[in-house]
Amino acid sequence: MDLVKTDSKNIYYPPGGILLWVIIFLELFTFGMALVAMVIYSKDEPKIFHNSRLLLNTTFGLANTVFLLTSGFFMAKSVQSFKANNSKKSSLYLKLTMLGGFFFLLLKSIEYYEKIAVGLSIGYNTFFTFYWMLTLFHVIHVIVGLVILSSVYFSLNKKNKSVALEDFEASATFWHLCDLIWLLLFPLIYLIF
Amino acid sequence: MKNPKYFKVLVSLLILTILSAFVVRLNIGLKAASAIILALFMLKFLGVAFYFMELKKAHVFWKSAVIIFVLLFSTIILVGL
Repeated sequence: MDLVKTDSKNIYYPPGGILLWVIIFLELFTFGMALVAMVIYSKDEPKIFHNSRLLLNTTFGLANTVFLLTSGFFMAKSVQSFKANNSKKSSLYLKLTMLGGFFFLLLKSIEYYEKIAVGLSIGYNTFFTFYWMLTLFHVIHVIVGLVILSSVYFSLNKKNKSVALEDFEASATFWHLCDLIWLLLFPLIYLIF
Repeated sequence: MKNPKYFKVLVSLLILTILSAFVVRLNIGLKAASAIILALFMLKFLGVAFYFMELKKAHVFWKSAVIIFVLLFSTIILVGL
């Protein structure tokens, strides 16, 4: 049974806080509009977009999706344990969450290295301009998310627990935002064109 | 506290992800493949939002906003392709 409750049913208190949800929608609209622009540009150069998409490693994209979804699962479990006042479990799940994020960054680095090695840089063509801008912007979110989660992790492991539920939920919501953005990017960049 | 809900959601999300990667290999045309991939994307997106982010417990306004966004986005992409 959860020992701590928040009033999520109130319109002003969505899980993670209203400010974060405003940011989530701004981010989703920004990435969404960029992807719509990508689709519009693909109309002018359908062959280039198709051939460029084939140069991407779908397995890497798929593995990165698995890493982020699994990481999101551990984040949800961590919040659940935190609400049940089980700091030890919450801390363990938080570590696993961050591990998923690190695996994502590691694989993304390998992918970027491969692309740069064969000359598929940001100026190669329109498809790769979108690819680099969107995925790098997402990577920045993941790095910021990891910094936030590390800060929560260290606070959680202090002798006198000093993390408020609202802060913990807000950090978790930001981490899930990274999942959501990647779920937008993955099908369009790696699969559709 | 044992709660298999999150695990079931994770397994479903992983299956949907693998399915979307397989759809690309099917010879069913760009529009049909895109429609299936976007449908799978919507399910994954809503799965993460409603279960992992606990939007299921939130006010109807936030639930509707996310559903409207995901529907609008998928429709615009599908029409634009």
